[in-house]
Amino acid sequence: MKIKNHTRKVELNIDENLLEDIASIGIKHYPNEFGGFLIGEYSNNFKNLNITDFILPNSYKGSPYLFERSALGLEEKFENIFKEKGNYYIGEWHTHPSSSTKFSKTDLDAMINIANCETVTIKNPILLILSVSKTTLNHYTFYIYDDKKLTPYE
Amino acid sequence: MSLKKQEYLSNVLSTHRMSHVEELVNKFKAKRDEVKTTLQDKYGSDIYSPFDSGSFKKHTAINIKFDLDIVVPFKRNSFDTLEKMFDDLYEYLEAEFGDVAEVRKQKVSIGLLFKTDDDGDDVNLDVVPGREFNQDQYSEDRKLNLHLRNNTIFTSDSTYIQTNIQEQIEHINGKSDERMVIRLLKIWKHYNNEDFKSFLIELITIKAFKKDDISGNLWEKLEGVMNYIKENVIKEDFKLKDPGNSNNNVMDTLDNAERTNLSNRMETLIDRINNNAQNIKSYFPLNDDFEDEESSSEGYGIKIGSGIASTPPSTERFG
Repeated sequence: MKIKNHTRKVELNIDENLLEDIASIGIKHYPNEFGGFLIGEYSNNFKNLNITDFILPNSYKGSPYLFERSALGLEEKFENIFKEKGNYYIGEWHTHPSSSTKFSKTDLDAMINIANCETVTIKNPILLILSVSKTTLNHYTFYIYDDKKLTPYE
Repeated sequence: MSLKKQEYLSNVLSTHRMSHVEELVNKFKAKRDEVKTTLQDKYGSDIYSPFDSGSFKKHTAINIKFDLDIVVPFKRNSFDTLEKMFDDLYEYLEAEFGDVAEVRKQKVSIGLLFKTDDDGDDVNLDVVPGREFNQDQYSEDRKLNLHLRNNTIFTSDSTYIQTNIQEQIEHINGKSDERMVIRLLKIWKHYNNEDFKSFLIELITIKAFKKDDISGNLWEKLEGVMNYIKENVIKEDFKLKDPGNSNNNVMDTLDNAERTNLSNRMETLIDRINNNAQNIKSYFPLNDDFEDEESSSEGYGIKIGSGIASTPPSTERFG
């Protein structure tokens, strides 16, 4: 599946099976929020992003309106993914149980922190929000971060 | 306003990224593939598959100076001597590409300088012939003997050099911090007309990270490596082993005067930058051609080149 963000004139590709895998893990945690890290590779001209995988946090806290994850213990994994495959940590995903895919102020603040973090070498991290019910994925929206703003892909 | 050295150096690396010259790189790759195909057609079962080497392969290339090398591993019994192998390859490349490129013999390689194209771009490739060291063993040991012309590389008067180019490529694999420092030192070398070999810079940087505590931000890492170079290259017993053959000491490419010169250069550089951070700009300039592109509003942005991994902050909260 290919979607576009017209603000930065970029494309994003994700295999539908990979998206389904992410969603099914999120649904398992219903009614609490859950999430993780997104992995991907950029084209040589940095106009296309292919999401290739995801990583789950070793530790997290989830409630119906909040998700806090830790990246501790995963540093080597991110390093190896880059060394072996040239893939980057490119962003985050989390669920909004029985809610819309609109991002919250907390989500935006998190993305600002991520973009400003020294160990994050990308400037435009991705945020994927999945609206889930007890058994199904309702909707999902991919956002790209740029200059303290999140804009959706279409 | 004070200059933040680490941020400035990140920008230096960014403006020297290869992604800025993607079209030119594609031209290099197309020529490289064309040459590889013709070599396979010509030599057939006398060679193993030609493979890529050089700074582009090692991810230490900068967009003002980079090369794509093709290594051609010949079988042990393909030629009686290394010189005949070298000359035969030269004659073939001259016959095949002589009308579209200047073909010239170099120290261990044959250079192909293609004529400037309509866009004003110059494409050049180095073709490095090597002969397997042991009959039918190349696939396993990867050892090659290279023909050495007019030997000024090593202080001995040998006419060949045994090495393992795959091992040299492996040696730098996954060393992203080292690569950033190597690229910065190559930028310094280029703009300041220093003629130290890039291979020497590569090996000494990797050794510095291995032997010394090189850590901190980008400037601190660069300073650490430069200090290591300053202190060690003047030591008589200081060696830089070629990862492809531990009997080759790459420090032998420098005589005593050149060693002292390199040490002094490093000392001056460190002192001048620490006395006034603005001096960093003259040693490590931005590539003006691509400075404006850094604030581009299109595409996915990368902070400091594509040379290091991206690791998320330890804790984040979403709602």
